[in-house]
Amino acid sequence: MFRLLALLGDIIIRFTEETGRILILLGSVLKEMLSPPFEVGNTVKQMYEIGVKSIPVVLITAIFTGMVLALQTFTGFKRFGAESMVGSVVALSMTREMGPVLTGLIVAGRAGAAMAAELGTMRVTEQIDALETLAANPVKYLIVPRFSSSIVILPSLTVLADIIGILGGYLITVGLFGTSSVVYWRRTWDYLYLEDIYNGLIKACLFGAALALISCYKGFYTKGGAEGVGRATTGAVVVSFMTILISDYFLTAWLFE
Amino acid sequence: MIEIIDVYKSFGENRVLRGVNLRVERGQSVVVIGGSGSGKSVLLKHIIGLLMPEAGSVIIDGTDITKLDRKHLYEIRKKFGMLFQGAALFDSMRVWENVSFALLRSGMRPKEAKEIAIENLRRVGLTGIEDMMPADLSGGMRKRVGLARAIAHKPEVLLYDEPTTGIDPILADAINDLIIKMREELNVTSVAITHDMHSAYKIADRIAMLYEGRIVQEGTPEEIQNTENPIVRQFITGSARGPIRINGVTA
Repeated sequence: MFRLLALLGDIIIRFTEETGRILILLGSVLKEMLSPPFEVGNTVKQMYEIGVKSIPVVLITAIFTGMVLALQTFTGFKRFGAESMVGSVVALSMTREMGPVLTGLIVAGRAGAAMAAELGTMRVTEQIDALETLAANPVKYLIVPRFSSSIVILPSLTVLADIIGILGGYLITVGLFGTSSVVYWRRTWDYLYLEDIYNGLIKACLFGAALALISCYKGFYTKGGAEGVGRATTGAVVVSFMTILISDYFLTAWLFE
Repeated sequence: MIEIIDVYKSFGENRVLRGVNLRVERGQSVVVIGGSGSGKSVLLKHIIGLLMPEAGSVIIDGTDITKLDRKHLYEIRKKFGMLFQGAALFDSMRVWENVSFALLRSGMRPKEAKEIAIENLRRVGLTGIEDMMPADLSGGMRKRVGLARAIAHKPEVLLYDEPTTGIDPILADAINDLIIKMREELNVTSVAITHDMHSAYKIADRIAMLYEGRIVQEGTPEEIQNTENPIVRQFITGSARGPIRINGVTA
């Protein structure tokens, strides 16, 4: 019993400590982000790494998600004669939920893992110390470009995922089940409000900020050689995933209330 | 001039530095010797403010760097160049971009920075590799590139973290010669840490031995060679028998 309490206490202390350190890092990232000179070249490079290179995975995931959503709702709704509503269901699910969350998870798995691995390797091979000795602030040089490009890239990828997902739904509903194309688009636009889209994009921004901050934090404070880099990378993906999924619930409750 | 005064540093339970005092005069070459894990690297990192002590001060040309904010610390750091043990080259950049990193950061045009990089690479005995990536270089070449990067912004002090560790004896001696050459040509102060006694005798004006978190003896290479101190004797002769205890190892 006592052991169990000690273990629980240990977990709580570690969690609080880590959260505190991430927030301190966030503070210095925001400070460096807003003070010139700006790392334009590095930020563009990161946008390419995080954004452009994620496009194929996002597209494939989005089109299949849209397709499966249509497939499921069509068969389900058919039972009470509401097949015509498939367009609305796909549109609302993609913009409010699937678009931002899936994009967040994909980028966390792809780019977040890469951030943690790259920064972790730089830490254990003393490249981060070398930056310091050359009087370059590593937070400004390494973390700020990744953080700011994630915030911009996530909503952009989400827009793409939204569109492709809705097209995937169209493909199945119209192409496979033979619903009229006019009905699909009508239902899509009738019940889709602008706020569905932009609330989804706000979510995406926050997911981008969270995954970049967490992954950079894990990489930046890596300890213990190659094994440490492995731990940091795993940690970055796991914590980013959990943060995205848990915060998604609360953001939804707050944004769409 | 560098003054380390009564510096303490621990990592968790491990008390690494327990009151280190060391003085390095301008133009001197000081080598700190000590066993693996004795805290030599930790000491070196305190000189350039990569680590901050729990107690004590590190004074560079009259300024206590432990009390500086980041901006002023970066100003002081421009006086230093550091060669890391594994060279710590930025592996996402070409060799010349590595060498001229600080110059490019301060706004120099790439063309000019590349020319200076080529010049600095030539100083350390390398030609024709400026467009290569660090991953394509051998260990000895990486160290040289690291040295070229360390001298690129014309520092007053060069710090060497185990300059001869992990390379073969002939290359190691070439690195020793380079360290001496750098000192003569650029007129820099140098502080090196090593456990390679051959290297220490060759490059040092003064040698200091770090043991159990303190400097146990300091002197010229001759004084160290003829020391009566049993700890230093054991270390420089490289014997497993003597007062130095190694955790978990019985002689």
